[in-house]
Amino acid sequence: MPRVEFNRICKTYADGTRAVVDLDLAVADREFLCVLGPSGCGKSSTLRMLAGLESISSGDLVLDGRRINDVPPQARDMAMVFENYALYPHLRVFENIAMPLVARRRPRAEIRERVQQVAETLQIVEYLRQRPQTLSGGQRQRVALGRAIVRRPKMFLMDEPLGHLEAYLRVQLRAELRRLHERLGATTIYITHDQEEAEAVSDRIAVMENGRLQQLGSLVDLLDRPINRFVAEFIGRIPINMLPARLAGDGQNLQVGAAMMPLSGAQSAKLRSGGTDPLTLGIRPEHVALSSGSAGETISGLSGRVRVIEPQGDSTVIIADTPAGRVSALVPSGCVPSAGEVIELHFAMDCAHVFGADNINLLRAARNSE
Amino acid sequence: MSTIVPDKKNAVGAATGARNLAIYLAACLFVGFGLFPLYMMITTSLKTDQQTFAWPPVWLFTPRFQSYYNALFVFGGRSADHYLFNSLVVTLSSSALAVFLGAMAAYGLARFRFRGNRDVAFYILSTRFAPPVGFIVPIYLMVQRSGLLDTQIALIVVYTSMNLSFVTWILRGFFLEIPIEIEEAALVDGYTRWQIFLRVALPLVRPGLAATAILSAIFSWNEFLFASILAPGDAATIPVYLAGFSASMNIDWGEYMAVGTMAVLPIMIFTLALQRHLVRGLTFGAVR
Ligand SMILES: Nc1ncnc2c1ncn2[C@@H]1O[C@H](COP(=O)(O)OP(=O)(O)OP(=O)(O)O)[C@@H](O)[C@H]1O
Ligand SMILES: [Mg+2]
Repeated sequence: MPRVEFNRICKTYADGTRAVVDLDLAVADREFLCVLGPSGCGKSSTLRMLAGLESISSGDLVLDGRRINDVPPQARDMAMVFENYALYPHLRVFENIAMPLVARRRPRAEIRERVQQVAETLQIVEYLRQRPQTLSGGQRQRVALGRAIVRRPKMFLMDEPLGHLEAYLRVQLRAELRRLHERLGATTIYITHDQEEAEAVSDRIAVMENGRLQQLGSLVDLLDRPINRFVAEFIGRIPINMLPARLAGDGQNLQVGAAMMPLSGAQSAKLRSGGTDPLTLGIRPEHVALSSGSAGETISGLSGRVRVIEPQGDSTVIIADTPAGRVSALVPSGCVPSAGEVIELHFAMDCAHVFGADNINLLRAARNSE
Repeated sequence: MSTIVPDKKNAVGAATGARNLAIYLAACLFVGFGLFPLYMMITTSLKTDQQTFAWPPVWLFTPRFQSYYNALFVFGGRSADHYLFNSLVVTLSSSALAVFLGAMAAYGLARFRFRGNRDVAFYILSTRFAPPVGFIVPIYLMVQRSGLLDTQIALIVVYTSMNLSFVTWILRGFFLEIPIEIEEAALVDGYTRWQIFLRVALPLVRPGLAATAILSAIFSWNEFLFASILAPGDAATIPVYLAGFSASMNIDWGEYMAVGTMAVLPIMIFTLALQRHLVRGLTFGAVR
């Protein structure tokens, strides 16, 4: 059964661009792995190496225990959805979807039946006789998806397959993809920009930046135990607060602006052993609470003035200016201060992250070990 | 206010109207200038000698097909249809060969990275820099030594090689325009390079195939110099046969023009038939 291993894979393009650097990654059989990362971080390059469309500069790509660096794409039995559809412009939608089956010389009746079935799943039956040029972006994307799932390949490789669909269809199709994955059990590698989508479809998420794999885990892992500053900032619906901080009071407290944040024993031990001075406190808006009142009453609170109020349905994002910098907090919509009001911000320090000068999360294993 | 706006519009409309009319007239003049010889040739082929030489020119007359009949069935020796057939064989074979071989070469140059790729491409184009007359002696000798003088094969080979360079060059540009992802999709779908060439790449450069086929065919159909030297006799093509007319003491203008008309017709039909494939933009919209 398909199990893929990237062993120290590097990709350097002819112009010297290092798109993928020392990638070590094992994808289990039947796993649905999402790859998340900012634009240009090497997601597509990774996928294209796996598909055999891009040569591997160094390292070993292993499929089921066999090194496949030099196996041509036709022989890898992977179905791919391209970032930019890559439909055959001279063929009708039906023939586009049928192409992989035609290549495998399936009987005509079977081809017709399977294309029809896929078209129904993707709601594109009425376009089967049209050419791709006459379709909208979302319709084309569904055709591209259809061309991939009409086969029963070893693996699915999907490069932002839902990127151009409207929200409603995206939610519907990602559920469909997940169901399809559960039914067929094909190992899937799925690139997306959308964390929520990644969480909805995948078993594990790989976060990449600058050609390097940063962290691998579930969304909860990535949110609660980010390995470094990049992952902390990249993951999360509302951007995490990053505030300059330093150890104070013999390492018992973290000083942010004028406020002292008390640390737990384990936390302070970790910081004292690993902390070099310019530290950064990372705290998610979800873990910031408010109390309105005069500044400076308690030492654990940071006082600030409310600048921006962004209602988001049930909850509201408050952005306040504090001596330490801007801090956003997510509060229930029931108790929202008014703009300009002076408030006190309390951090749930057991959910805090502290990053050292090298941007590594010094508290990463904090909650595991406690 | 509201009355001024339409007035202004009308003024602008009239100005562009006049401009359009001028452009239209100029275009008509140009087309007339180009078509007049054709008109003369066709009408002359349908006139009697008196009508041809009458002054003032006879514009209205009852057409007669005697000249065509004479050219095809009465003249001594091989008649016009024999040479038309030669031309057809030579033109179709050499164009088909040039386009097919050229497409393969162009695809290789466009899709495979190898050392000196661009140099090879430029070399192929550079073979057209020197005027063909320069090669006539060596080519004559090669054809003679291979015993191919006065055969259709000699002309087919020579014309194919002459057309191959520009066919390759033009088609290389067309192949380069195909988004690479389309072919990558075919690779992943399980097709071999050769299947992709035939099923994906060739259909997508159809306008290029049509254009190069038309240009090769026109060249082969009209070529005179090599034809007259390599195949002056039985395998002669229609230009060589036509040239024979002007060499005789008194020219049978009606028959001359009848053969001329028959010589123009096939290549015109061929061009018009392929012309509709020249539409561009087939690959548009395939890729985001
Ligand atoms: N053929 C190529 N030649 C040179 N550089 C390339 C090539 N393809 C990609 N790159 C570079 O490699 C890096 C990674 O590109 P890649 O397409 O893998 O990013 P990505 O993560 O898929 O980005 P996006 O989210 O925008 O699709 C980028 O800096 C890109 O400019
Ligand atoms: Mg990409």
